[in-house]
Amino acid sequence: MGEQPRRWDPGARDEAYAELGHPADLFVEVWGEDLPALFENALFALYDQMAELEGFGTERAETIEVSGQSPEVALRSLLAEALYRFATEGFVAARAELDVSAAPEGRVRATARLHGETIDRRRHTLLAEVKAVTYHRLAIERAPEGGWRATVLFDV
Amino acid sequence: MTAPDLTQVSEYVWDLPAAGGMRVPGRVYADRQLMQEVRSDQSLVQVANVAHLPGILRYSMAMPDIHFGYGFPIGGVAAFSVEEGVVSPGGVGYDINCGCRLVATNLQADDVRGRIKRLVDQLFRDIPSGVGASGAIEKLSRKELEKVLVRGAAWAVERGYGSKEDLEHTEDRGALPGADPGAVGERAYARGQDQVGTLGSGNHFLEIQTVDQVFDAAAAAAYGLREGQVTIMVHCGSRGFGYQVCEDSLETMASASRRYGIELPDRQLACAPVTSPEGRRYLAAMACAANYAWANRQMIMHLIEQALLRALRLSPKDLGLRLVYDVAHNIAKLETHEVAGASVDACVHRKGATRAFGPGRPEVPARYRETGQPVLIPGDMGTASFVCKGTAEAMIQTFGSTCHGAGRLMSRSQALKRAKGRSIDRELESAGVLVRSQSDKTLAEEMPEAYKDVERVVAVMDGAGISPRVARLRPLGVVKG
Repeated sequence: MGEQPRRWDPGARDEAYAELGHPADLFVEVWGEDLPALFENALFALYDQMAELEGFGTERAETIEVSGQSPEVALRSLLAEALYRFATEGFVAARAELDVSAAPEGRVRATARLHGETIDRRRHTLLAEVKAVTYHRLAIERAPEGGWRATVLFDV
Repeated sequence: MTAPDLTQVSEYVWDLPAAGGMRVPGRVYADRQLMQEVRSDQSLVQVANVAHLPGILRYSMAMPDIHFGYGFPIGGVAAFSVEEGVVSPGGVGYDINCGCRLVATNLQADDVRGRIKRLVDQLFRDIPSGVGASGAIEKLSRKELEKVLVRGAAWAVERGYGSKEDLEHTEDRGALPGADPGAVGERAYARGQDQVGTLGSGNHFLEIQTVDQVFDAAAAAAYGLREGQVTIMVHCGSRGFGYQVCEDSLETMASASRRYGIELPDRQLACAPVTSPEGRRYLAAMACAANYAWANRQMIMHLIEQALLRALRLSPKDLGLRLVYDVAHNIAKLETHEVAGASVDACVHRKGATRAFGPGRPEVPARYRETGQPVLIPGDMGTASFVCKGTAEAMIQTFGSTCHGAGRLMSRSQALKRAKGRSIDRELESAGVLVRSQSDKTLAEEMPEAYKDVERVVAVMDGAGISPRVARLRPLGVVKG
């Protein structure tokens, strides 16, 4: 991870992810120079779509640890867990540090240390209700221009 | 993938011949223009994919509001033999028993003229809406929530939120049998405890409307509708509870598909035999979510009544709030249908499709049995919604099913681009529709032009003889999440 983690900047979302056309749902393409950066940007995309991140502090820390039989499954589980905590605890992260590593039996493990705040409806603006992180068109691949790209479909 | 070849069977019916691993042909209801729109995405491939699943009966069907979903298309209808077929969570969707409720009043549009703003504001205050909306009633204990899951709308009625007559006028009397709270995971309980009586966000809404045209006077009279009357429509579902039930079922279903050797052209079609332990468990959990949704809409109707009484200072008798009907449009149900002259037990998946049972079916409430089931088709918030009626023809052609709404035409990001620099709420207001929304973004994403023309969609199902129009409802005021 090297450099100091910083807050996600919604003004620079174009460097992290883009929305691809989909008639009903939210289909995004995410980029990252390595898998931790890719996973981090996918989390950024999820929170950025659900809330106006500028208004959120970073005092509350949460850790999510998941593993999956492939990077795709691990990524989906990570996002689904973040969504579950949003839905049940009102937790919104404004930055994160990621670790993605190989686990035994070919599995992939991802650990996210999230820094954020619990929603306060008087101060915070929520944007969209994401119902689920789907398996639909879920993919992670090396990008031709270097680094990695992922596609994720959020049911909204 | 290219779109499969279509054969036009009649003005509104198109077939996809069975090819490759398809066990039955596909059948799509659309006119020429809607078919152009349908061809623009991959939803026809999805219609073909569904036709691969074991035990599918007659056709993999799609209604004219079809669009691309995950696995199954939205607007899809697929019936599977209970004996040899499968049940698939992808054929129901995340928002289990997302549905529509129509409430009639004794008021005429003239009675509320000049008071729409007050009404919309009151409804907006009293019915929690928006992302993660909660707190309409106090948090439910685990035991209480289990009762909601088994009793559905009756749970709310037993607590004084509505009347027994409401249950008569709800599909399945507001409770699917076979709901097993033990089949539901802990996470769904955590998400469900404080969302009964909340609208949610996205395409969910609450609308004050007026009946602006009656097409079928006899049916309208049977449904208690008359020109100029004020009605309220609610569109919402099982909230976080249902999303979690779907989520929790997907992994189980993926491994079940492998265990039972079911070949899937798309892994989103993961399924299990209806009679397998996995299939039964999903149906038992899905029934819990369906019942949660019915309790939710029943509770919302109660909140609506309270809000209207307060805002209009009327007696309940003068307001005369009455449930016309409540339909599910994301659900899988065990029904008996006639197939090739024999009565068959089927598991009918309706994903973005509405039941449209014809006259005489025992499932249709006594009061409507001669007419056929009321079918509620919400349109976009600027145009109109429709009340239609189920027919004998629907029983023959579509397993008693029809369309569920306008169906999206534009992606949300396209809609946002179109809305840039415009004020959607002001545009709607000048068109006579007052809107209150928790989020300008949601309002822009849901703007009228983002949807297909509901008139066209409804006209197709009318023209095909499946669900003729009974009345058109024009929005006066809208609450969006």
